[in-house]
Amino acid sequence: MTGIRVYITGTGLITPVARGVPETKASIMNGVRGIGPVTLFPVPRDRFLPVGEIHELFETDGLPRTHQLALIAAEEAMADSQDSPDAIVIGGTTGGMALTEEHLKRGDTSRDLFKYHATGSVAEYLAAKLKCKGPVITISTACSSGTAAIKIALEMLREGTAGNVLAGGADSLCRLTYYGFNALQLIDPAGARPLDIARRGMTVSEGAGMLLLEGKDKAPDNAMAEILGAGLSCDAYHPSTPDPEGTGALAAMRAAIKDGGISTSEIDYINLHGTGTIDNDLSEARALNRLFSEDKPLLSSVKGAFGHSLAAAGAIEAVISAMGISDSFVPGNAGCNAPDPELRLNPVIEPIERDIQTVLSNSFGFGGNNASVVIGRPEEERASMSSQGPPHLTIVGCACITGAGKTRMTEKTLSEGRNCKGMLPDREVSKDLSHKTVRRIKRLSRLALSLAIAAHKDSGESDGPNSLFFGTGWGPLSDTYDFLTKLYESEEHFTSPIDFIGSVHNAPAGLIAIQFGATGPNITTTGGDYSFEQSLITASLLTKRRDDLILVVGADESHEILSALFDDSVSGDQTPSDGGGALCLRRTDTPSGLRLFPSFFEYSKDNPSIIVSLIENLGGPAIIKRKYGAIFAGIPGTHRDTGSSQMAQFLAGSGFEGPVIDYRRLTGEFASASAVAAVLAVCFARERKIPEALCGSKSSYLNGKGILIIGLGKFVTAVEVIT
Amino acid sequence: MEEAVKILIDELRVKIIDTLNLEDIVPDDIGEDDQLIGSELGLDSIDVLELVMMIEKDYSVRIDNKELGAKVFASLRALAGYIQETSPGLSN
Repeated sequence: MTGIRVYITGTGLITPVARGVPETKASIMNGVRGIGPVTLFPVPRDRFLPVGEIHELFETDGLPRTHQLALIAAEEAMADSQDSPDAIVIGGTTGGMALTEEHLKRGDTSRDLFKYHATGSVAEYLAAKLKCKGPVITISTACSSGTAAIKIALEMLREGTAGNVLAGGADSLCRLTYYGFNALQLIDPAGARPLDIARRGMTVSEGAGMLLLEGKDKAPDNAMAEILGAGLSCDAYHPSTPDPEGTGALAAMRAAIKDGGISTSEIDYINLHGTGTIDNDLSEARALNRLFSEDKPLLSSVKGAFGHSLAAAGAIEAVISAMGISDSFVPGNAGCNAPDPELRLNPVIEPIERDIQTVLSNSFGFGGNNASVVIGRPEEERASMSSQGPPHLTIVGCACITGAGKTRMTEKTLSEGRNCKGMLPDREVSKDLSHKTVRRIKRLSRLALSLAIAAHKDSGESDGPNSLFFGTGWGPLSDTYDFLTKLYESEEHFTSPIDFIGSVHNAPAGLIAIQFGATGPNITTTGGDYSFEQSLITASLLTKRRDDLILVVGADESHEILSALFDDSVSGDQTPSDGGGALCLRRTDTPSGLRLFPSFFEYSKDNPSIIVSLIENLGGPAIIKRKYGAIFAGIPGTHRDTGSSQMAQFLAGSGFEGPVIDYRRLTGEFASASAVAAVLAVCFARERKIPEALCGSKSSYLNGKGILIIGLGKFVTAVEVIT
Repeated sequence: MEEAVKILIDELRVKIIDTLNLEDIVPDDIGEDDQLIGSELGLDSIDVLELVMMIEKDYSVRIDNKELGAKVFASLRALAGYIQETSPGLSN
């Protein structure tokens, strides 16, 4: 057990209510509401609904709104810090979507216009601006992303692998979310009225909230508040509707309270998720009525004033909660005139000045993703809640899909000296899934679900996985494209609610959770070619329970139009390829069988010693030679030159002489090709031999050694598969 | 039954199957008075919203709240009746 506690030492906010943390407090106390007409894009008169729009952003040289918002909040959070953050963990759902929509509408085909499309590009942009070496991680769990990002940063700091982490969330308004939530009839035409008896839905808004978190053994002088604990859960109930009984929400709150080492009675204020939708508010209220048998603490939702800024909301509300503790106030529940008696909640309607010590803040989202965080006053005497789980992630099952087929066909094809590029036809991908299961889902979800089921089957384990991690470079492209196409074809009148639900990056992980009834943490990460590695790091941070059965899936779909526009590596390869891999893991005390260890993740930009650092991190040349029988090198096509020279530097520096398999030449170009590589590494390590066709003149026998999977290019990553 | 409603019901059967990708169902499987949602068809509230879009697009009939949706989507007959009553293109 380490003695590390985690303090908030910097905060930044930009929302429709105000820009800047002190300004936001003034606006809250003055009852400012940031909800008004949408001006960002033209809307047909009969589709007009209020939004929370920020009006002071400037047109910039191709930089999307989300990136601008994120940087404004990040600079405020970092203003008093001399150092770069050791890591960045950002929640996001839309990334550059607002700009992408404009370009797709105009039929633009220049790839340069889409360079900031990726949801993960926001965190990467911040890393470049703030000179952060990484890890740089993007969490995309819909509306719980911002809070989930804080949980992951908390665990990184507790583990001691980072000393300070910038955590937060950012999302901008765009057509996808505006028309998507409208199609689901989840928007209140009068503006969000959380907890009100007449509430009809939420108000989509935009913004960014950032927190500089520092791991210390005692509170630094500038600590505004302390992150005491956080908890995650998944409803495993429905892709978009919360569990009506609030069971998942309750589990997340209980997990956060336990993680914070406090009792329920210590909570002075609850910052509700409180979106204003009929179902969310009811489900959250039921969870709260189950959590508190007697008097409930003060509680309110700020979404009647701020709107719902999706992935940003949890981070913004964490900042507001910390401000409430440091400045002694409780924000009001704007928009609520007559609380709905069915909720049995008594919200604070007008802001009040009040000394509060401990706050619980909730965020829930699509995919049944729930996250809660407990924030407290820093000077309180508390024990550190850092805990070490069983140290080993033992690999118990695996599965992959490539253009050649599923796991066995892929292995066979490679051993015959052929590549496995291409796309497995849809009917083959979903051959083992029922029509009922696949009726509403498109290629990425089919790939992910099929992989998850196959990896679990391969494990032979009788219990289902509890925790799920999903990495995807580009998310559900078919659903996104179909949604926008239908919208544009109807002059922004009609679209598909099913495509909207399917378009969120975490839709596949939500479906996997439903398939297995997996109610533990459910995290989707996204960061281009390094998304699967992000999901492995996240899995390693969030699974501490002994014998916890874990699924980690990486998948991407090839889309005939969007893949080549978004992913430069794809446009350089003649054969459209996609697929992915899944690993079923178990936390164990003792090393037995094959184990996996995500050991390195750094950003190459302004990082000339990155390969030296990798070699050191792996234990130096002697250990590298002793430990690994082969290296799988992942060099995305667009980073061929950089990646090849990084690899050459690694080989020269480490003296490694075994076979090096340049796997993208075999799998084809797609962001989660590294998930296929990880699965193949497991297959080969089980057989103690690499197919001769892949080894050239080098020895194909592993002789008890493991396989090192290295990602190269924009980031350098290492994942060890060891015996 | 009025001939126009009958034709509309037949048309809706096909459109529902198309819109919701109900590959394993043929039009005659959906009875005029069968419950549409939460029945053997396996449809839920999200399917209703998908049908809401289709109906607004094809018949200019807007069903913009849950309560109205529950009434209108009770059965094929109820749906056809509502469209017949309110669609500008179909009104007498």
